Amino acid sequence: MSENRSESETGLPAVDATGLPDHVTAGAIRESAARERREKLRMFLTNWQGLTGLILVVLFFASAIFAPWIAPYDPNALDVPSRLSGPTWDHLAGTDQLGRDTLSRILYGGRVALKIAAIGVSVALVAGLVLGMIAGFGPRWLDNLLLLAFDTVRAFPTIVLALAMVALTGPSLEMVLAIVIITSIPQYARVARTATLTLRNTDFILAERSLGASMARTLLHHVMPNVVGPLLILAAMDLPVVVTVEAGLSFLGLGVLPPTASWGTILNEGYLVIRDAPLMVIAGGIPLVLTTLGFTFLGEALRDIFDPRMGKGR
Amino acid sequence: MPKDATRAPETLLDIRNLSVDFRTPRGRVKALRDISFPIRRNRIVGIVGESGSGKSTVLWALLGLLAKNAEVTSGEVLFEDRDLLHASEAQLRATRGEEISVVFQDPMTSQIPVLTYGTQMRDILYRRPGLPTAEKRRMAVEMLGKVGIPDPDKRIDQYPHHFSGGMRQRAGIAMALLTGPQLLLADEPTTALDVTMEAQIIHLLQDLQKELDATVVVVSHNLGLIAELCDDVVVMYAGEVIEAGEVREIFHNAQHPYTRALLECDPARIDDVSRKLPVIPGDIPDLTKARSGCIYAPRCQRALPVCRDTFPPDVARGEMSLARCHLLAGPHHDPSWPPPLDVMTVGTGEAGARKPARVKRDDPLLDVSDLNVQFETVGPLRARLKGIRTRHVDAVLDVSLSIAPGETVGLVGESGSGKTTLGRTVLNLVPAQSGSVRFEGQEIRNMPEARFKPMRRDMAMMFQDPVGSLSPRKSVRALITEPFQIHGITGIDLDDEAERLAEMVRLPKAFLSRYPHELSGGQARRVGVARALALNPKLLIADEPTAGLDVSVQGEILNLMADLQAEHGLGYLIITHNLPVVRHIADRLAIMYLGRIVEEGRTDEVFARPVHPYTQALVEGVPQPDPDRRRAHVSISGEVPSLLNRPKGCDFAGRCPFAQDLCRAQKPPHVTMADGRQHACHFPLGH
Amino acid sequence: MLYYLTKRLGLSAAVIGLVVLVLFSLLHLIPGDPATIALGPRATPEAIARYAEKMHLDEPVWRQFLIYIGNALTGDLGLDVFSNRPVTAIIMERIGFTLALVCAGMGWAMLLGIPLGCLAAVKPGSWLDRVTGVLSVGTIAVPSFLVSIWALLIFAVQLRWLPAIGAGEPGQLGDQLSHLVLPAFAIGLSWVGYLARMVRASMLEVMGENYIRSARAFGLHPQRVIFGYALRVAILPTITLIGMGFGGMISSTVFAEIIFARPGIGKLIFDAVMARNFPIVQGAVLVATGLYILVVLFSDILIAWFDPRVRESL
Repeated sequence: MSENRSESETGLPAVDATGLPDHVTAGAIRESAARERREKLRMFLTNWQGLTGLILVVLFFASAIFAPWIAPYDPNALDVPSRLSGPTWDHLAGTDQLGRDTLSRILYGGRVALKIAAIGVSVALVAGLVLGMIAGFGPRWLDNLLLLAFDTVRAFPTIVLALAMVALTGPSLEMVLAIVIITSIPQYARVARTATLTLRNTDFILAERSLGASMARTLLHHVMPNVVGPLLILAAMDLPVVVTVEAGLSFLGLGVLPPTASWGTILNEGYLVIRDAPLMVIAGGIPLVLTTLGFTFLGEALRDIFDPRMGKGR
Repeated sequence: MPKDATRAPETLLDIRNLSVDFRTPRGRVKALRDISFPIRRNRIVGIVGESGSGKSTVLWALLGLLAKNAEVTSGEVLFEDRDLLHASEAQLRATRGEEISVVFQDPMTSQIPVLTYGTQMRDILYRRPGLPTAEKRRMAVEMLGKVGIPDPDKRIDQYPHHFSGGMRQRAGIAMALLTGPQLLLADEPTTALDVTMEAQIIHLLQDLQKELDATVVVVSHNLGLIAELCDDVVVMYAGEVIEAGEVREIFHNAQHPYTRALLECDPARIDDVSRKLPVIPGDIPDLTKARSGCIYAPRCQRALPVCRDTFPPDVARGEMSLARCHLLAGPHHDPSWPPPLDVMTVGTGEAGARKPARVKRDDPLLDVSDLNVQFETVGPLRARLKGIRTRHVDAVLDVSLSIAPGETVGLVGESGSGKTTLGRTVLNLVPAQSGSVRFEGQEIRNMPEARFKPMRRDMAMMFQDPVGSLSPRKSVRALITEPFQIHGITGIDLDDEAERLAEMVRLPKAFLSRYPHELSGGQARRVGVARALALNPKLLIADEPTAGLDVSVQGEILNLMADLQAEHGLGYLIITHNLPVVRHIADRLAIMYLGRIVEEGRTDEVFARPVHPYTQALVEGVPQPDPDRRRAHVSISGEVPSLLNRPKGCDFAGRCPFAQDLCRAQKPPHVTMADGRQHACHFPLGH
Repeated sequence: MLYYLTKRLGLSAAVIGLVVLVLFSLLHLIPGDPATIALGPRATPEAIARYAEKMHLDEPVWRQFLIYIGNALTGDLGLDVFSNRPVTAIIMERIGFTLALVCAGMGWAMLLGIPLGCLAAVKPGSWLDRVTGVLSVGTIAVPSFLVSIWALLIFAVQLRWLPAIGAGEPGQLGDQLSHLVLPAFAIGLSWVGYLARMVRASMLEVMGENYIRSARAFGLHPQRVIFGYALRVAILPTITLIGMGFGGMISSTVFAEIIFARPGIGKLIFDAVMARNFPIVQGAVLVATGLYILVVLFSDILIAWFDPRVRESL
């Protein structure tokens, strides 16, 4: 019940401690920040999931960035005589029906995935952060309006929305990016909004207002630093989802178009020859799994270390 | 305390050499170190200590319900010849709830929100399969009735959120006593409650203990509650029992320097309001470090060189009395210790009068008149659907108040009284519906922020939560220099200012690079003061300035505020529920109840002769830290009603022992008496 | 409760209205003549004229929208461009396959995931908890369309245990069920992991609440504490997750239906997109989205039913 909100929320009487558990002594609290950072680093380094995740993510970035140097072949070089070959010393991951080297195509496909993931997630994060903070800090009607908009976007299952949009404009990389951004914004915005709403009624935001801080200053200096953390963790968890959406759309022929190499198009071409050359759908899927696994492990390790209370599903 | 292994027959529970460690990322915190004390049958035993003393840990260790990172490293807890620490989980479960039961600190979070009281209480009786369900329900209803819940028959089918805070705590006591346990543990049972409710719960516990012949252990930081309720007292500090004894021994003849200091610091015990409040300097030691010597030595005024490296002896006085101090026995025995009660053993930091003589009354700095603040409780759509006609409640109703330069006004009330709202409205943080707020003669109510901003330099606010009111990702330096940046003040060196302010609030310079979560409550409070005073305001509104601070350090902040007032001629509005504290700092008091000021006058007069029955109840409601001044009865019953159900007549009529028909029919107007005091009562006391 | 229902229903209706608006404007926002776009460049002028009249294309846009809404409310979603059959009838033919798949997929995931999460939370750190942890990250990391492809490859193509494509002969329950196994497995697999983790996390959080400590302090039996108290509260966020996650389920269903050539709504939309059959796309997307909104609504009502605070206060 919202009777006299301002008071019931803060109306606790002089409690024993500053809300700290009895056993944490004042002396133990006042540790230096450096020691705490070291402690967090140690927690991360002893977390095998986090380390595995970090290695996989680094591998993903490295292979995508350095693909032109490490790929054994041009991804579109035809080698018709050795088409649909299994793993050989020449073609470690086999070839497709045109004789293109699958390993090279996978490495180049990583570039597409990285591009979409990096651009898509960063744009969605920034937009979600701004919209979420506006919804959380702005007037009630604006909040309701934005919430309705978020709900409407979220009402479309991602792939269904993608199908509807592609139906009208035709497939393209830009389209995939647009879909990824549009469908991701609401979740960032919601997390940012919830965090902002919680902050809005805290004493320290009121304290800023009582000092005369402008809304812009309050948002920029005091709200944002506390909202960005959870959003970054969410982004780590969202990256594999974005990679998957790109691969899925390209698999359906609605995303990146052949002959451009992408993990989705490799799977698409492999699916067509699944009975004759099962290697393609296996090899094409493994980088997707490893990337997803890497980001998931990394994101969860970061969350456990920096924000243990966020351990809920999204 | 008996040193031999045999136990006196009246001992119900015997804690021996109990040690508990917590494994934390910062190392092992030795939360309890080798503590021993007996709990005697049919007595009320108080465990008292400040934060970090380990008092709650004792309680959870008894129940075998310590947190997962806790480890009992030694000791035994004998309950009727069974060692609870080494009992199997099944044995413990049979004991918990049946023989040993608990009343929890916060009734708002300790009762499951999705089950009715009926279900919760039936569950507690699950060990009695022979008992028919109807009989279990009858027992539960009876117990709810016994703890003072009206209509228990109906209310048993309600959920916890249907109950008010005080009712919830009553229900919590009913749940704990349902099985007729021999031992009842109570963890800060009144800390989450208002003053008038606290008194009722204390008496309820006392009555039930007598009626049910139970043994009760109360854990609390509140000396008044311990003095009022307990027979035996155990004093803990930093994970050790430093003194134990019967309640009169502890309160009238404390042996340990810490106990003495703690008692001296309690503002409720100090009658002379002209002096500064005493303070125990320093902080609780880091419990991750190994200790040598007396744990209290670093803060002790009487510490000798030996105290720092030799473990002090336990000096027994009587059957269960002991104190752990070098001064009491052995080569360093000091026959003159402890000194008589009227000799202070702790200082105030400085000598001298607390306050300069009252400056002459100028024009008021702040003048609030007939201020009204309303909150919307339901949206228009919902109001229509539910047929609710009044969509607003009056959080602040016709309030008039003024503060002169250099004056301290205390605004006192329980939760829901609107005192915080009033403070925020004055600073334009909450919009007001009508009335006027004048600052130095200028009307500022609902002034647009752009125009009001320059005036914010003259009006500052301190918020209730010392750590929570600091932006968590800013350093102390950034926090205390922020006011300069907000108001675009140039031509100053921010680093110099930061150091000047830190010095002003007596905060070591090293703290400037720390972050709020690295500060203790008292240090964070200093940062709050520094921020508030950075721009030399004329008016400071302080919301519960001692909230979250231990008794031994709250004096530091109050003394600091008094010094700054003397130096800068500030006007203070102190918003608080804590009467003993406000008595020491306020020149005038305004008592608020349900958004209205019911009484206003000079502090000493209000305390000496309350005019409004509610004021009287508040003044009498504070438990005195003196077992000889226990109250025989509770003057008022019931709880503060919800703002949604504001009574038609006097707001207090429903709880007032003197209420008459007129009170229930008509709101009393504000009346100014001949001596300048104001009240809102049809039948003022003593007139 | 009545107020709550009214509010939720009103919100859902608003979102569906907005969804229709979005779908409708998608068609009208793209430049060019809607009839030509709808029928493709090869359509004859007569066909275009016929289409324009049928779709009231000569009316102002806002009237067209109202007409569409009005028709949709009476269950008329327009006509298939090619067969001229009512879209509603076509959707009704297909929707059963989708519903069966979604229920089977979610069903087995819930039956396995929720108990696993509970057991893992009861003894955090035990071998069961660790196995569950690794398994759930593993299943989450493999995108559902990849599970579909790989399941198809392993169980249908290589092992030949189960049929690869189609939905089975009409009327033959056994055959239909055997066609249901692989897609249901594929779309449910990652949900086992999601649910197990979600239930575990919220159980662990609830187990740390004061009221659980109270229940234990009153000596209640651990089974009662875990299932009668903790799960009763912990299930609430899980219900929300299932409701929200249903959109992702529909996306997975689209993939599964395409990969296993199962004639459900997802396949219908995909084929219609490929054939540029807009009335079908519009209608089927609306139905898929509406289904999702209904599930979210249902999950909200379920929470209100479980939680007296929500029931009364909202």
